[in-house]
Amino acid sequence: MTVQVLGANMDYAAIVVLFCIGLYVVVAKSNLIKKLIGLNIMETAVFAFIVTAGMVEGGDAPILGPDAHAPFASPISHALVLTGIVVAVSTTALALAIILRIHREYGTLEVDELRQMDG
Amino acid sequence: MRERLAGALAVAMALPMLAVVTVLPRVGSPDAPVHTHVASRYLARGPAEGGAENLVTAVLLNYRGLDTFGEVVVIFTALAAAMAVLLAMGGQNDPSSRSPGANAHGTRADGSPAHGKPAHGEPMDEPPPASVPPSPVVTFIVRLVAPFIAMFGLWVIVTGHRTPGGGLQGAAILAAMFILVAMVLGTASARSLLPGRSLPWLQAAGPLAFFGVGLLGAVLTGFALGYPVDPALHLLRELMLVGVEVGIGVGGALIFASLFLALESP
Repeated sequence: MTVQVLGANMDYAAIVVLFCIGLYVVVAKSNLIKKLIGLNIMETAVFAFIVTAGMVEGGDAPILGPDAHAPFASPISHALVLTGIVVAVSTTALALAIILRIHREYGTLEVDELRQMDG
Repeated sequence: MRERLAGALAVAMALPMLAVVTVLPRVGSPDAPVHTHVASRYLARGPAEGGAENLVTAVLLNYRGLDTFGEVVVIFTALAAAMAVLLAMGGQNDPSSRSPGANAHGTRADGSPAHGKPAHGEPMDEPPPASVPPSPVVTFIVRLVAPFIAMFGLWVIVTGHRTPGGGLQGAAILAAMFILVAMVLGTASARSLLPGRSLPWLQAAGPLAFFGVGLLGAVLTGFALGYPVDPALHLLRELMLVGVEVGIGVGGALIFASLFLALESP
């Protein structure tokens, strides 16, 4: 029963798996760049989730015009994801700048080694 | 050890989320709440109220213009913060500050063998070559296509209210062109693409365009970021939308390009 429902919402289930892969990378890896990549995987999963939620069966892009035909996908989820992508780019850029600085100052990106240097 | 804990955490997070997935509306079902609330109104009246056939643009710039204003301020702030973090790096060439950097390739610090050729088994004292000249074919192709990529980016920005696209999508295309040029033709020739003295103002073009158009809307309609719905002012509204798009596009492209230059090792 549960498996059947999961199969119907296979898209969401795949997104959950992707999100958890990103979570695993963030927690398991000690390299800061790899942690950042994991964070980006998690963000991608969230964007995919929002866009998937806005999709409609047989839907078209929500761009009206002479040859557009209903039904249309929800424009709100697209707009929200666009905003989210920009914020993700901003956080990634700032994180990369901080990581670059850490590498310059300490010569390593491994969290374990950085922790030993502390103190 | 940490891998196992992380795996357990990931599974522990996945199970409740999968349980929620089973009670979500079916993917693509037309009567899901996401389609029955404001979305149906946007679809019915978007072009008349929002002034854009591309309803995503109508939502971004008109219905939820304040959100987008905030987003534009966020990327500008990210640029400022990244520059501050990187420029505050005094004495980066000071050898004493790099003393722990004997293993400059920090990713290999766990002692795993450097994969690859035996020639790299030598100590890492010798720096990698500063730059490998790209093949003439690559250089020629990049020189050939760069203007067309730029033109496509501008087209995506300017027609974003009618066709798929918009300010940030065009900004991403322009920034990709810039990064391509920087990687193939060198940072110097990419830097020459950027405006000189007006760069800081143009980096702020997104917030500035939003502010200007929002002020104009306040004068015309009484609401900040309002757009006139009067059919007689149809052209003005379109110009306001395109103005915001151009501000976001040009400002975004320059911010992405500047972030790339700032992150590139000096």
